[in-house]
Amino acid sequence: MLEAEKMARNIGFDPANTIRIKTTVSELGRNILKYAEKGFVSLSHLVDGKKEGIGIEVIDKGPGIENIELAISDSYSTGGTLGLGLPGVKRMMDKFEIESIPGSGTRVYVVKWK
Amino acid sequence: MYGHSHYNQRSPEELLKLFSLDETDLESIRKLQAPLEERLDELVDNWYQWLKNLPEHEEFFTDPKLLEHVQKMQIKFWKIFFKAEVNDDFINMRKRMGETHARIGLPMDSFFAGVDHWLSLFIDMMGELKLKPEEYSQTRRAINKFLHMDMTIIVLSYEQLINETIAAQSKSLMEMSTPVTQIWNGILLLPVVGIIDSKRAQDIMNATLAKISETQARSFILDISGVAVVDTAVANHLIKITKATRLMGCESTISGVSPAIAQTIVELGIDVGTIKTTSNMKDALASAFNKMGLEINEIHE
Repeated sequence: MLEAEKMARNIGFDPANTIRIKTTVSELGRNILKYAEKGFVSLSHLVDGKKEGIGIEVIDKGPGIENIELAISDSYSTGGTLGLGLPGVKRMMDKFEIESIPGSGTRVYVVKWK
Repeated sequence: MYGHSHYNQRSPEELLKLFSLDETDLESIRKLQAPLEERLDELVDNWYQWLKNLPEHEEFFTDPKLLEHVQKMQIKFWKIFFKAEVNDDFINMRKRMGETHARIGLPMDSFFAGVDHWLSLFIDMMGELKLKPEEYSQTRRAINKFLHMDMTIIVLSYEQLINETIAAQSKSLMEMSTPVTQIWNGILLLPVVGIIDSKRAQDIMNATLAKISETQARSFILDISGVAVVDTAVANHLIKITKATRLMGCESTISGVSPAIAQTIVELGIDVGTIKTTSNMKDALASAFNKMGLEINEIHE
């Protein structure tokens, strides 16, 4: 999370977007701790022409998600929490990809442009 | 989250296997035992000559008695080392060495450089022994592997001790991190700094509820301006804390909500419902005083 904040600052994100990026990393990171126990978060500095942004990829080898449609809809949770994490992340980021194979793991990739 | 450690759990056999040390290797090391013992005093002198040029010498060996003790221990150790018997006793002895290094704060670079200097002294010694070329290279390789194995045990125990220290510090830091304070009759304040995880949220909950019951407080101000991130899990914890205090007749106010945090809470879609929030602690305090029927006035002489 601190790494994400550093990278976001270096790319030149404003404070509000820096908080969005930190919150996203925290949100996705917590999902790993909660459901999968092991996984990793990798950050990348993206450059597309004049656009600059940050890519956040989160991969775990957890149980996977049975129903992705449900998982990214508001107030759905299998873990007894608010169920707003994934849909919230989707709202905060510019690009949101999720793939999951039940029984073998989940990959979430999000992008925020400056 | 804190002080994760994976200790060197390998048995002597596993360690030998890891470094591909077989009986031939150990036997070739043992052959150096006699020539080494003849030269050991000289080698130790030579090594300390080398050490004298390093700043560490000043730092660690100001006391001549200590220096003498360490030299004795070193002579004892090399005698054991060239017996090349890897058993639990050997491993435990080396673990204690690593722990000592960690305790005195010996830097890794000086340790590695020191071991490397010993290695070159041993290589010089082997040169004097007129070994056959194949025996020479076999022995050299064996000493290399054995020294690296030895360093591994030391480094792992060093790491272990440092991790334990970090874990203990984190623990005491966490225990000190929920100072719920009565700032006025009936008003409690808790500024939270850092990261809120479920363990910490539970600590906050316990400390707050205990303090409410002790002081019969009617207002509780939880200041989050020092919290790194409010994600859904943190928000969930905050909601639960305010609900629980309300059940005890104490109204909570979350203060210190920055513009960026306010926006992310909305985007996450968190329903803050009936929770009272303010952007700064001053407003929360004013409203708590107001509720108690108190007001703060300037004193005019």
